[in-house]
Amino acid sequence: MTAMSTTEHKTRGADASKGRARSGLPRSRPAISLSYVILFIGVAIALVPFLYVVSTSLKESTSLFSYPPDWIPSPIFWGNFESLFADHPFVLWTINTLFVAGAVTALKLWFDSMAGYALAKMEFAGRRGVALLLLLSVAIPISALIIPMFFVVRYLGLLNTYWALILPPLANPLGIFMARSFIVGIPDDLEASARLDGASEFTIYRKIVLPLIRPGLVVLGMFTFMLQYTSFIWPLIAVSDSDRQVLAVGISGLQSAFLQDWGLLSAGMLVAAVPITVVFLLVQKAFVFNDLSGALKE
Amino acid sequence: MSAVSPRADVAVSLIQVAKSYGDVEVLQPFDLQVGEGEFVVLLGPSGCGKSTIMKMIAGLEEVSHGEIHVAGELVNYVRPRDRDVSMVFQNYALYPHMTVRDNIAFPLTMSRRPRLKRDVIGARTLEAADIVDLAPYLDRKPAQLSGGQRQRVALARAIVRQPAVFLMDEPLSNLDALLRADMRTSLLEVHARIKKATLYVTHDQIEAMTMADRVVVLNAGRIQQIGRPRDLYTAPANTFVAQFIGSPRMPLHDLEVRDDGTLSFADATLTGDADVPLAPGASVTVGLRPSALRATSSASACFAGKVTRRDYLGSDSYLDVDLGAGLSVMVRAEADSAVRPGDTVRVAADPGAIHVFDDVGARVCGASARRQKR
Repeated sequence: MTAMSTTEHKTRGADASKGRARSGLPRSRPAISLSYVILFIGVAIALVPFLYVVSTSLKESTSLFSYPPDWIPSPIFWGNFESLFADHPFVLWTINTLFVAGAVTALKLWFDSMAGYALAKMEFAGRRGVALLLLLSVAIPISALIIPMFFVVRYLGLLNTYWALILPPLANPLGIFMARSFIVGIPDDLEASARLDGASEFTIYRKIVLPLIRPGLVVLGMFTFMLQYTSFIWPLIAVSDSDRQVLAVGISGLQSAFLQDWGLLSAGMLVAAVPITVVFLLVQKAFVFNDLSGALKE
Repeated sequence: MSAVSPRADVAVSLIQVAKSYGDVEVLQPFDLQVGEGEFVVLLGPSGCGKSTIMKMIAGLEEVSHGEIHVAGELVNYVRPRDRDVSMVFQNYALYPHMTVRDNIAFPLTMSRRPRLKRDVIGARTLEAADIVDLAPYLDRKPAQLSGGQRQRVALARAIVRQPAVFLMDEPLSNLDALLRADMRTSLLEVHARIKKATLYVTHDQIEAMTMADRVVVLNAGRIQQIGRPRDLYTAPANTFVAQFIGSPRMPLHDLEVRDDGTLSFADATLTGDADVPLAPGASVTVGLRPSALRATSSASACFAGKVTRRDYLGSDSYLDVDLGAGLSVMVRAEADSAVRPGDTVRVAADPGAIHVFDDVGARVCGASARRQKR
């Protein structure tokens, strides 16, 4: 039995290498050059505004409006960054934002994946109705929800608390749909097998389903985190206490009706981008396709 | 519910079990007992309900009617994990994120009463892996295994629980022919070693005939026949079984019984072997099993006709022989036979070659053939 299997393994390996060779189709030189030109234009369009923000953050206000604009500041002015940390509670805003975005992301992944599991795999009366209702609620614009949400949060006495920033985003059903679509793809036989093996519904969810949808959850998590990190309208309305202010609202407060300090604003935006970039770099390895290979017959 | 009780030596007992989805009846009421250590194969075409039976026993499908007993205990309302059954799925259903070791150990780690110690789990996992020759692959993930090895992981995961009953749902259906033959042998070796009641679903009659102690033939949600492989072959209960078992497929011919209780078939007379002669004027169906009809030069031949087609199978050949009057039979010949299409051959019928069925397809008797005198 073992000898037979080894032979079979070698054959599979040979097939795989053939497949790789087949996928590397040769392309003509002009086609490659053209693709590089298009990519370069795309990168330039994406980078120029960012570079302009970097440049602006390193200039004094007086030299901001020189014409033609100086892309490379001379001399480099660090005062905007110093002012950001010395004159404003920027660190506190960052901590608040990371805490709120992190809490929302963690809770949302937990609840959405459980709700997605129920909608994808469990049989119960009204399952389709619930799914349809959730789908409809995705279509309601946030602007239509803000006033009712404000009254609910005020009624609950949560205004000016972290809960006001954390709880309302959890009600967004988009994540449930994303989680459901990841879970629907998991073969029913895996759960049936786990059920026969003695796993409870919660164990199936935790030990079988969650590991298999991990890449999808990473995407959902990043999406949620970024949405919360940059969230502006709701935190502006729900929290007025400066101790609980988040970055987007705090940075917007750096400008006043009479004074637009673009250098300070640019420095704020740049520093605010650092934590989310770090988070993105940390989790990017998890952005891989859901690997179900080996689970079933091929 | 039924007043029938399962016998003590029966591992699985299904009493008047039926399954329907709304108004659609997918399984008509049937009884089935699987003895301790018995290997029973559920055989039938796709959609006949064989996997549904399996899932009902496992507890993955509700029973619409009847009782299911496992190891003497009524399990209709028992959760799948408490039924003392293990199942090997048609798709292996391995957990792709776990190693082979963790896959095999999973049922043991889920065990609650009693909760098993880590060293016990390790020892039993190794033992199960050894039974199916998987010990060298314990730290691999399923994606790093071949089809046959994955199948054995699924088997080991079923074995490790040491259940009262094994359920196997077409476990070999996607393996190539060579590997399938090897795995058949392996499965039988494992079965002989652990000696547990096994219910095995397949649509492959060779698997059924070679592996089963008893075969349950199903069609369209109804049990057609339960019996030993030889019984199904030599005395098929109806035309469905007669055609489903045996290769090539048995051709059928509708005939009318003559006044003397015999049948006229081409230039031969067929006489039923039942104690009661066939009723004159009755409409019957006659089937002639190709593997029991021989091309011969002997004078004892009962038919003669012209060969219209020859299929070479390696070990032997099969000839389509036109007997005239719209009748034809398929006949076995030597592999190196010189007979070619267009030649005339004589055909001899071995005992058990000819079967007579009534007008609804149920078997009446076997028959013998002799050449009519002209």
